[in-house]
Amino acid sequence: MDFLNQTFLLLRKDLLLEMRRRESLLTMFFFGTLLLFVFHFSFDLAPERVAEMAPALLWLAFLFTGTLGLAQLFEGERSNHCLEALLLSPMDRGALFLAKTCFNFILMVLVEIVVIPLFWILFNLRSWEVIPYLFLVTLLGTVGFCVLGTLLSVVTLKARARELLLPLVLFPLMIPVILGTIRCMEAILRAGELGDALPWLRLLVGFDVIFLTVGVLIFDWVIEV
Amino acid sequence: MAEISKTSGKSKGYLGGLALISVLLGLYWGLFRAPPDAYQGEVQRIMYLHIPSILTAYLSFFLVFVGSCLYLWKREKRDDILAYSAAEIGVLFTALTIVEGSVWGKPTWGVWWTWDARLTLTAILLLIFAGYLMLRSLTEDENRAASAAAVLGIIGFLDIPLIHMSVYWWRTLHQPPSILRPDKAPWDNVHPALLTALVINFVGFVLLYFYLLSQRFRLGEIKEEIKARLLNRDN
Amino acid sequence: MGAWGFVFLAYGIVWGAILMYWVTLKRRLRRAETELAQLRAAEELQRNAET
Repeated sequence: MDFLNQTFLLLRKDLLLEMRRRESLLTMFFFGTLLLFVFHFSFDLAPERVAEMAPALLWLAFLFTGTLGLAQLFEGERSNHCLEALLLSPMDRGALFLAKTCFNFILMVLVEIVVIPLFWILFNLRSWEVIPYLFLVTLLGTVGFCVLGTLLSVVTLKARARELLLPLVLFPLMIPVILGTIRCMEAILRAGELGDALPWLRLLVGFDVIFLTVGVLIFDWVIEV
Repeated sequence: MAEISKTSGKSKGYLGGLALISVLLGLYWGLFRAPPDAYQGEVQRIMYLHIPSILTAYLSFFLVFVGSCLYLWKREKRDDILAYSAAEIGVLFTALTIVEGSVWGKPTWGVWWTWDARLTLTAILLLIFAGYLMLRSLTEDENRAASAAAVLGIIGFLDIPLIHMSVYWWRTLHQPPSILRPDKAPWDNVHPALLTALVINFVGFVLLYFYLLSQRFRLGEIKEEIKARLLNRDN
Repeated sequence: MGAWGFVFLAYGIVWGAILMYWVTLKRRLRRAETELAQLRAAEELQRNAET
């Protein structure tokens, strides 16, 4: 399908560029890990309490790290009128949206793969068996974040104080994802399996599907030169 | 060349007059004629403000959504002005809703604020509105500001049911034992004697809302025409 | 603060805020209408001068 081909092409371009300089990835890694340290110093928690707070702290870390990634998402297109060139090309704009979303998603997942086990180690947590479930939940949440984040990243592209404005408009809209992932993770940590978390999981999937669809459809009108 | 809307100042004047009469009637009925509530006492009278406020806040958001959709589709300035006006007045009524809820909550629950579902949701609504207005004022190019805000308006509106669901689940599935009972809706069991007051206030509020909206809309239209003429002149 | 105190507090804030908004809105409208009138008048003058 032509649409998917275009998406893959654009995604490949971004990934290649990223692999060469690794700017975004390294800063996000570093920031995510740094936040873990800050949390350790800010929350002087007894070991039992840490397991309770783990989901929330993890997600806060990912939220802020993800925002960092979003801020740099269109950096490559800013200079040399690259964005205009992309828009003038016969490419489906929905493909651009999907490609950028996937790109941010991949970056975030790479960071999450490292940060989650790191968190477990640094905070001396047990129950390593639930980590796959937690990872699943994190993936779903990350999709929602990347979808909305990419949309709003474009929308705020030419605004003043963009680095402040983007989180400002993004975070309230992210509340279903924030609530969903953290409650899901709490349920999993409590029960050791998915059971209780199912309604929240369904909410997350619903959120992802809705906004992924909306994003692809609406992106034509969103991005303007 | 853009012309000012044909809506005559007269019809707006009538609307304003009608709104004023309804509001005054509502004040009289709500504060004097209606009896105090059996459980909540006099404080219940705040509900005559609170319930219409919530409704106008959500109505505003819906209008922002409609205006945004129409604008992205047809690119007619009128729809953008509608969205912007509805957002501005929406912020006002949402903020007032929160204040009313808070002042009602203090004597009823003992605290100025609680993170119960309704107050939380209204606060989130306020944040989304505020974000919309900030996006508009911080984006320099007018046309880009309009489309950017339109996208935010659409996404925000579509998100509201999801936010609603998640906050309600969160608040009902994990109800910690507490002295407060904020789960009881303030408009449960509205006694028929109080219903008249509520309806009159309701009508007054809605009329007032549309009056303010029409004035703000007119302001938007005038500004558009000014811009168009200035642009013309410079060419 | 008695019950009526809270009632008046709420009503006071609400109607005060609405009144203030309405007043500011009227002021903005007046300013805009004046500016528009001036622009129109200036255009009229220019059109008459050209003919």
